[in-house]
Amino acid sequence: MVCPYSFDVPGGVQFHVRDLAEVFLAQGHEVSVLAPADEDGDLPPYLVSCGRAVPVRYNGSVARLTFGPVTSARVGRWLESGGFDLVHLHEPVTPSVSLMALWAAEEPVVATFHTSTTRSRAMHAAQPLLRTSLEKIRARIAVSEAAAGTVRSHLGGDTYIIPNGVHVRRFAQAAVRQEWEGVPGAPTLAFLGRVDEPRKGLHVALDALPGVLDQHPGVRLLVAGPGDAGEILAHADPRAVAATTLLGAVSDVDKASLLASVDLYLAPHLGGESFGIVLVEAMAAGAPVVASDLEAFSRVLDGGRAGVVVRTGDATALGGAVVELLADPARRDLLCLRGRERAPEFDWGPVSRQVMAVYETVLAGVGVHHPESRGGLWGRLVGGSSTNGQR
Amino acid sequence: MVEIDVLQVTTFVVILVVALAWYLSYSAARLDRLHAKVEGAMSALDAQLVRRAEATLELANSGVLEPASALLLADAATESLERVTEHPLDDDLLDGQHFGGREDVEAALSEALAATLTEETVSHLREDDDELVDDALSRIASSALRARMARQFHNDAVREVRRVRAKWVVRWFRLAGHAALPERVEFDDELPAALAR
Repeated sequence: MVCPYSFDVPGGVQFHVRDLAEVFLAQGHEVSVLAPADEDGDLPPYLVSCGRAVPVRYNGSVARLTFGPVTSARVGRWLESGGFDLVHLHEPVTPSVSLMALWAAEEPVVATFHTSTTRSRAMHAAQPLLRTSLEKIRARIAVSEAAAGTVRSHLGGDTYIIPNGVHVRRFAQAAVRQEWEGVPGAPTLAFLGRVDEPRKGLHVALDALPGVLDQHPGVRLLVAGPGDAGEILAHADPRAVAATTLLGAVSDVDKASLLASVDLYLAPHLGGESFGIVLVEAMAAGAPVVASDLEAFSRVLDGGRAGVVVRTGDATALGGAVVELLADPARRDLLCLRGRERAPEFDWGPVSRQVMAVYETVLAGVGVHHPESRGGLWGRLVGGSSTNGQR
Repeated sequence: MVEIDVLQVTTFVVILVVALAWYLSYSAARLDRLHAKVEGAMSALDAQLVRRAEATLELANSGVLEPASALLLADAATESLERVTEHPLDDDLLDGQHFGGREDVEAALSEALAATLTEETVSHLREDDDELVDDALSRIASSALRARMARQFHNDAVREVRRVRAKWVVRWFRLAGHAALPERVEFDDELPAALAR
């Protein structure tokens, strides 16, 4: 498996690769992951580093990537010494190790596309440059409908959709933490995500808060996520700020506990989410979800059956939905129940089985050889037309 | 008068010929690889469809289904197996690599599976804890899923082959030889919802 982004920094693609690799290892398969990583750091045993990543501005944000001849040689060595049956590349169009591996791989290639952007300059520019390499990919997987749409618009064709996985059990069994638990009169709401990234929508949640405080004066908003919230809080209503607790970046265990403890989980994202894995985590932990009506979110929430969806960016609607739910414990219990029913569909168990099915399907077709024997180019030039006549 | 340097012209021509030859062999290798990909996906599709039909037939003959459902499934599955074993080479220019118009038959089997294996029936069947039945059900589910994947990978590969074969260099120099232009395979391969998880 090849991951283009640095394994030292947390990120959706890295977590996906890590989880998938660990699930397959637990099932007894042999897995080796090639990714940029700091070799001095604490690395899992299955990880092979291809060098340290350099922050580069790419496709509108700063990504940590590796490139250059040294890396390229390492990729070649890894492929050669690994003796792999199959190579699974993640984000093959990112200018990093995945692309190099695609270039060098002689093994059958499976590729997973994660990004969903309306217009990717790189994929567009890559057309003539990478076409032949991309033809090596025997099976394309997208993590969401949105990601598949991105691939379709740039490269054409269909892509098989296998969603991201979640360790549902970890969230379902998370311990409730008293300080985060809502009590009658002082219910708690959770927000997760980078606080200084506008598209995560913290400001929408803060704008919605005064309306909620009017009805439920004791309500608390617990915000977990890295970033500097100073500016966003300076622009928010002072009452909302007073009701908000910043937890900063939290560990995976704390995240699960937070979701298991709160009365509601808010996902006021404005867009750019291709899947909404955190929604599944919330559902697995038993937190009723109030989310923006983004396409990906509606899909995860089973069209609004397993959670409440409100108009994206509409603080009044968000506030209204929160007020209503806080006043209706029976409805919350129902959403919690449906969420817990829905979440296992996104568990790594069934998800990894589907990925394995892709591998098997690809490998089943590898041994098959051309039935016609061709005498090279010359035979084709001369023989092509004559055999055609005989048939 | 312009003097023509023979050596220079010859060098130029040689370079041109070498470049053309390289491009031709490169294109041919690329096309070969794409053809192999199409054929690989097709054979995977074929194998999974056979597996699906066999498992369906097993389930139908196990006696746990009511007779009407069993007959429906047996009929569709037998039809599919017969098409593979008895007329595999009809209209088959790719020596066993062609789908040979089996779309209708396979779609009929998908339909029969969806009609008979409803949520209710499947949960009943699973309750009985009959090892043979459970095995047949899981084989139907896994082969139907893989057939679905294989069909999509196949169609994607077909799209790539067709694009490359539309290039002038492939058409003028007959790089495709006598390989038939591969076609997409389209049929309803929806898994019965009850088996989908």
